[in-house]
Amino acid sequence: MSDDGGWLNTYVNSLPERRWFQFLSKYVVVPFWVWRDGKPKLPGGPRPSPQPSDSTQRMMNLLMPLKDPSPIGRAKAVMALAQNVDEVFAGLDNVGTVHSARFLLIEDHICMISVYDGDFSNYIRDFISTIGSVFDALMLVVEGGDKLRPCEKNVEAFIDWVRDHDLFQAPDFPVELFALQDAQIGKKPNDPPHAVESLPRSLILQLHANRNISLGGGYRGYPGYSAAQIRNKLGVGW
Amino acid sequence: MADPKLVQDIVEALDIPGGSTQRRPVHTVGIGVTGHFVPSPIAPEYCVAEHFQPPAKPEGVPVDVRFSNGIGLVKEHDGWSDVRGMAVRFHLKDGKSTDLIAMTLSVFFAPTETTFLKFARHARPQPCKRETPWQKIKHYLKLELPLPDPYPGQTERPNEAAIAFANEHAWAQPAVVEASAIGAPVSYVRADYHAVHTFVVTGRDGQERRVRFTWAPVAGVLNTNPEETPKDKYLQKDLRDRLAGKQTERFTLMMQIGEIGDDFDDSSRQWPPHRKRVMMGTLTLEHVPDDQQAHSEKLSFNPWHLVEGIKPSGDPVLRIRKDVYEYSSNRRGGIPCPFSNVKG
Repeated sequence: MSDDGGWLNTYVNSLPERRWFQFLSKYVVVPFWVWRDGKPKLPGGPRPSPQPSDSTQRMMNLLMPLKDPSPIGRAKAVMALAQNVDEVFAGLDNVGTVHSARFLLIEDHICMISVYDGDFSNYIRDFISTIGSVFDALMLVVEGGDKLRPCEKNVEAFIDWVRDHDLFQAPDFPVELFALQDAQIGKKPNDPPHAVESLPRSLILQLHANRNISLGGGYRGYPGYSAAQIRNKLGVGW
Repeated sequence: MADPKLVQDIVEALDIPGGSTQRRPVHTVGIGVTGHFVPSPIAPEYCVAEHFQPPAKPEGVPVDVRFSNGIGLVKEHDGWSDVRGMAVRFHLKDGKSTDLIAMTLSVFFAPTETTFLKFARHARPQPCKRETPWQKIKHYLKLELPLPDPYPGQTERPNEAAIAFANEHAWAQPAVVEASAIGAPVSYVRADYHAVHTFVVTGRDGQERRVRFTWAPVAGVLNTNPEETPKDKYLQKDLRDRLAGKQTERFTLMMQIGEIGDDFDDSSRQWPPHRKRVMMGTLTLEHVPDDQQAHSEKLSFNPWHLVEGIKPSGDPVLRIRKDVYEYSSNRRGGIPCPFSNVKG
């Protein structure tokens, strides 16, 4: 909304939508700020917390780059999963801490999106022990996957790889980004406080470092309950 | 009782040009509505307060609700970006009542009564003018957003001073950032309202839980288009139109349960959104009374006006609001609030 500030004001207000200004921002302004005040990549996955509801329904957004993103390479990724569906179901049933998991092919990535309870490392360990063969099949079609096979023999390396490919989860409250960025470079958070006007720049620079992110920690219809509690309440036998 | 001087200072710090000491210092413009509240079947398990017990009548307990614009101006500016208020009084048996006061901001500006006074004094509206084209370009080149142009006829606003204050005080940043982008709802019943403070509720089994309440609109949340010139008066007419005849509007009352480690006594800190939530009941709005003096302007709500089963937390801002609301009510000649020493 604008008051009557004349044509120049109206034009300047529209700059962010103008192609030439977007071009300038993309190729000059943002690179300048990346050089001047670039942010390190922030780690993926939910952040550690001792509080009970923070340990339930945690989100994993795993982006695995395909070795061959051509239709044939993508078909191989589809087959790798399709031939292991029984293993996935058996694994989900036996791990017991998973609310949901699904695989997606998006552009040049195969993605595993899942909701689980408890500690991240234990979740991956459980998966390796129950559906390691699925990940072995997937690692055949994923860039950098060869050195992780068989997953059962490379557990720690596989956990590190998954952590590195799990998306950074942007904070649920915007200004918390400042504290995360401070902590990542070893600074005491918000000491001194950041200027709130710089929040858009901090976000843009973080999106330069973390190209793909999860927008917040996810929205839950029944927050705070584990898969085990829900199954128990529903009386489904395990 | 809180320091009377501090109480007076807080109320006076909220007074702004264009307001009136005969009216509320903030949330000045408002409209009263009547309706009823029906608790959910699960509510009695979590809170033994009377309005959460199975109701004697199917329509539940009667309520008075006051919706308001946060700014302390007597003149309506419904279309301006602003915090909105929703104060609810539940009318219980034997002439008793209890209040729940909420606003569209999900977090408060300061952690204590003294820091709030400091904020209120620094973030007072100041003369505002449109940034020059060069200033705006400088913002863009710094990957910042320029301040919005003032609304037509707007000569003062708190934005600049509040941001300057927040730049020095990190605790004010969550509320200032949220308030700066809050916008204007298309209707008072298309916004959600947060009670902000922590309350302690006692369940049927005697267990005490630290909780925060939110009214969620059944119609959904929707703001006006900020690119369009704002209208000054539409919210009260919208409510009258929506409740004409036998039409109703509804809100659900959601209760977020805090966990050890959450900030129970600091309403300037949000709780993570994935804390357990319980649906405590449904509020149905039915009627806009003709006598708005009795049902809105003269009413004196108070966030400390509670009943057995709900206790205040140790939040010092909640504590001082008890006396600030009372002082403000007495000053404007409202129907004495439950703690007032003034005879009505």
